Amino acid sequence: MNIALLLAYGIINTLFVLLVSPLFISLIKKVKAYAQGRRGPSLLQTYRNLAKLLKKETVYSQNSSWIMRATPIINLAALLVASLFVPLIYLPEPTDLVGNIILFLYLLALAKFFMALAGLDAGSSFGGMGSSREMAISALIEPIIMLVFASLAFAYKTVSIPDMFRGALANNVFDPVAVLVAVSLFIVIVVESSRVPVDNPETHLELTMIHEAMILEQSGKNLAMMELSSAMKQLLLMGVLLNILVPWGLTTDFSPVSLAVALAVFLLKAVILAVVIGLFESCAAKSRFFRLPGLFAIALFLAVVTLIIEVFA
Amino acid sequence: MILPTEQLTQILMVMVLATAAIIIMKRDIRSLIKTYAFQSLLVAVMALVFYIETGAVTLLLLAVVFIISKVWIIPHFMGKVQQKLNIKRDIKFHFLSPITALIVSLFILLFVYLAFTPLIAELNRFNSTLFTLGATVGVSIVFMGMIVIFTRKQTLTNVVGYLTMENGVVLFSLFLTELPMLIEILIIIDLIMLTLIATVLAFGIDSTIEEFHARLNPFSREQQTKKPEETTQ
Amino acid sequence: MIETLFSLSLIVLLIAATISLLGTKTSYSKIARRISLVLATTASIFMLAFAAEILLTDGNYSVLAYQITPTFQFSFMVDRLAAFFLSIISIVSVAVSIYSIPYVEHEEHEDRKNLIVGLMCFFILSMLLVIASFSMFSFLFFWEIMALSSFLLVMTDFEKKETQKAGIFYFVMTHLSTLFLFFAFLFIYLQTGTFDIAAIRADPLVTSIAFGFLFLGFGIKAGIIPFHKWLPYAHPASPSNISALMSGVMIKVAIYGLVRFLFLLPLQTWWGILILAMGTLSAVLGVIYAIKEHDIKRLLAYHSIENIGIILIGVGLYVIFTVEGFQSIGMLALLGGLFHTLNHAIFKSLLFMTSGSIVNATGTRNIEEMGGLIKRMPKTAMLFLIGAVSISALPPFNGFISELMIFQTFFQSSVLSNSFLELLLLLALAVFALTSALAAACFVKAFGVTFLALPRSHEAKAAKESPKLMIIGSAILAGLCVVLGIFSSQIFGLLGFSIAVPNMLFIGVILAGFYGLIFLAMREIANRNERVTETWGCGYPMQNSKMEYTASGFSEPIVTILKGIFRTQKTSERSFHDDKKSVFKEGKAEIHLLKFFEERLYLPVANAVKKIAEKVNSMQRGDVDLHVAYGFVMIVILLLIIWWFA
Repeated sequence: MNIALLLAYGIINTLFVLLVSPLFISLIKKVKAYAQGRRGPSLLQTYRNLAKLLKKETVYSQNSSWIMRATPIINLAALLVASLFVPLIYLPEPTDLVGNIILFLYLLALAKFFMALAGLDAGSSFGGMGSSREMAISALIEPIIMLVFASLAFAYKTVSIPDMFRGALANNVFDPVAVLVAVSLFIVIVVESSRVPVDNPETHLELTMIHEAMILEQSGKNLAMMELSSAMKQLLLMGVLLNILVPWGLTTDFSPVSLAVALAVFLLKAVILAVVIGLFESCAAKSRFFRLPGLFAIALFLAVVTLIIEVFA
Repeated sequence: MILPTEQLTQILMVMVLATAAIIIMKRDIRSLIKTYAFQSLLVAVMALVFYIETGAVTLLLLAVVFIISKVWIIPHFMGKVQQKLNIKRDIKFHFLSPITALIVSLFILLFVYLAFTPLIAELNRFNSTLFTLGATVGVSIVFMGMIVIFTRKQTLTNVVGYLTMENGVVLFSLFLTELPMLIEILIIIDLIMLTLIATVLAFGIDSTIEEFHARLNPFSREQQTKKPEETTQ
Repeated sequence: MIETLFSLSLIVLLIAATISLLGTKTSYSKIARRISLVLATTASIFMLAFAAEILLTDGNYSVLAYQITPTFQFSFMVDRLAAFFLSIISIVSVAVSIYSIPYVEHEEHEDRKNLIVGLMCFFILSMLLVIASFSMFSFLFFWEIMALSSFLLVMTDFEKKETQKAGIFYFVMTHLSTLFLFFAFLFIYLQTGTFDIAAIRADPLVTSIAFGFLFLGFGIKAGIIPFHKWLPYAHPASPSNISALMSGVMIKVAIYGLVRFLFLLPLQTWWGILILAMGTLSAVLGVIYAIKEHDIKRLLAYHSIENIGIILIGVGLYVIFTVEGFQSIGMLALLGGLFHTLNHAIFKSLLFMTSGSIVNATGTRNIEEMGGLIKRMPKTAMLFLIGAVSISALPPFNGFISELMIFQTFFQSSVLSNSFLELLLLLALAVFALTSALAAACFVKAFGVTFLALPRSHEAKAAKESPKLMIIGSAILAGLCVVLGIFSSQIFGLLGFSIAVPNMLFIGVILAGFYGLIFLAMREIANRNERVTETWGCGYPMQNSKMEYTASGFSEPIVTILKGIFRTQKTSERSFHDDKKSVFKEGKAEIHLLKFFEERLYLPVANAVKKIAEKVNSMQRGDVDLHVAYGFVMIVILLLIIWWFA
């Protein structure tokens, strides 16, 4: 194994995720705006927001503790580590160090755990409600996520994400499992990035007091870190979906030209997916909180049926 | 082989199952009908895929008949009935809550597979597990349709349940033995008659006497002015 | 050398127990119990050294201690498996002994302090000897001593009604467990003619019956659902250091028993399915009940049920994969289960000990009356947080690694040729995933409500940090949580297992590296100004603890979604002044929680036993003549039997 190459992969992938992820937040916003007949914010708006937040002072509640201060950094650090696990443009040689799918999921869980604690930290009922609902939703979606990844592990006989991508890349035709898993993964993305039928990323009103309510107490640079990490999480999950369903474009050759091509191809794929997400969000209506289990039940049904087909066929 | 039949079939099977699951869960009658239409379309596409694979003309005919009758006529007609009845939602459930019903249907799917595998080993067309699976999916959809019928209260939803059952039967026949075309068409005529009768039942059973009169009157007035051909009631 | 360590440790423990008990009611009582706890710590360290030696060298040590008759003998044998469990006991004992030095001083009655310490030493000693036992006779003997000493410890506050109930529950359940083990051993004895644990080889039916009894016996002791009810009663009732030992270690002794016999018996697939099913059920129901619980120690007790379930999932997977011929995957599952046994012993004892500190500081076990403790007890809060993160299976702590190994086993189930088994495993996987996510939700609640935001009562406001030794005792375990997590792959390598777990050292280092990097970067690029002030309190001018989200509020969404499992019944009655129900008079709403297992399983059985006892009672009127008549009839019956068979 070439250590230098692996290091280069790590730096490129992490930087790519870090720099590009805010773009898709604004892109989805733009698509939604168009669907509503508005022009929407510029594609660079999320970057501008982040820059603005970094310039602002940070306000802490009198009641809050060090949890509040540590959470944004833990969040971002966990997401940065997780971004090593999902190759987006360059597929490195097989390695044991990064890529374990369960570790990837639990790094996201680590971020969420601390985010929920920070929601409770200031003692406002807003944050508490957000944490409570977020944890309930994440508990209910967890079996689906695990089944989805189990079907990937079944199909490609590995628990490593890069190896799954390699397996998908080796398939020349559309793999039925990949297609079906992609549908379930799409639901997972919608749930995990707090999108419309589950939550509404635009508001923190009573109706949708989930994710945004949980980070209500964050301000300044901390809020910037939280927003950046949720953008990264969304991009990483999108990356898993894209590189399973349409892995073509992912390069194994570490040269500037092929990297540039792979980058362009990935951006194209991700833009298409983001548009689909935006359109899906525009078509859907926010579901009542206690109706969500019904939605998840359908997703679970889909995931189990996929697995059954896979096991039997 | 022109198309990746096996892959397509697998995806279609899961999608058909998913539509059946949605039919079990959904409360909004309009989207129920739409989902049913989509399910029929999926079955028709499956027939088309088999036509391309095998070249049997009956399959093509079947697909065409399906698209005309089940994707267009029946949903269209039911949509009209729904509009006139002015019932938008069916929110009452018997016996099983929708989530439990879904879990039960998952278990049924498993059970049917385990029970059927030895039975239909000789029957199936291409003698592959995929087709056994297809037959299982067909039978499971029949069961899921039954679940819809007995867990729901509204007559319209029950009709959708019955129609789903019929789709399951067709799926089963697609994968195993070929049903003669004539029977297929007879079944479809049956279905159309059923929806007609169900309309009558919907008016009779689904409302109290007072509501019945209140609803019937505007309906008949409308009929006199607009649609004289629908006076069979 | 190594033998002396083993016996030395046992002897020192015995001395420790005697010193403390002898010191009761004398003027030296305080110094006596201190000495005895220090001795217990030393003894545990000796035992740890002994166990580590055997673990690392793959050694084997056996000794015949005392022979009553050739069949009834006390003989001991320590192999790698036993050494592993010995090390679990001794690690937890070291921490608990240190923690107990200040902790027992909180007990109100002076003489009970020494009793607790003395019995605790006996308790540790009996557990060590159960693990080391080679013959079934000595196993059962020390098993019973373990049960009795722990029963006495549970009954420390015997005046309280709650404790009495807990004591009776525990006593009955633990003896049921002994009873089933007794059946199993007797059965094996009848089949093989020896009490030697290694002598069991028989046909499938016989071993299945033996397995059935063993599983029941060990299952009751381990607290699997539906035999779990004693756990949530016994843990809140007993002192926290004892809860730590009972939940952290004693229920693991039952796991040891199960695994030991599974190594000896020829395995069958259905055993694996049974263990897996019961494990999954215990795991998911344990955590679901825990979410509803607001008594911090009872919450932890339910989590013990959950984690026992997870361990059993590992063991069940081991059996299934081994029988199906995939030894290496089975081994991964077993190692996962055993590693989780160690991890759970560590973080659960840590959590019980820190919750003991909190309970002492606030005087209540109800988390709704705590809050804000992170500012008042910062060290305890940090230690509890480490425990909470470990039990929620978050990287890079130890709980994560063991759950990862079990998840990886599940992910490899596509190798099984039996599709029925495959689907069964997938079902278990889905439930297991739900369990692990719910555990995280539950600990967000437990930590958030207990430690964060504003104090919810005057007691919580006045809470003080606990004594140094209590912190040190817990800190040992907290340190192990981190070390076992970060160095997991190195530890497996050291023990000679090549397991495909991710290198957590690497992950830990880059996680810490990124943390530092972000911290520094933020100092450079972001605005450094900070302001600590009042934040928006939903429109109210002065924020107070009444506005905080409560623990019940936090778990409400999950409770509502899973109301079918909780079996909550909401009833509301309303009355009105007029006929048209427009002027409201009064109303009553009730949420009733059905204790399903208690009301549908335990009480019916108990009532049936009671009825039979009453019937039998009527035959015993205390009349001597009647009893002579009974004796006469009995002898006649015996004579008839002898005549019939002879």
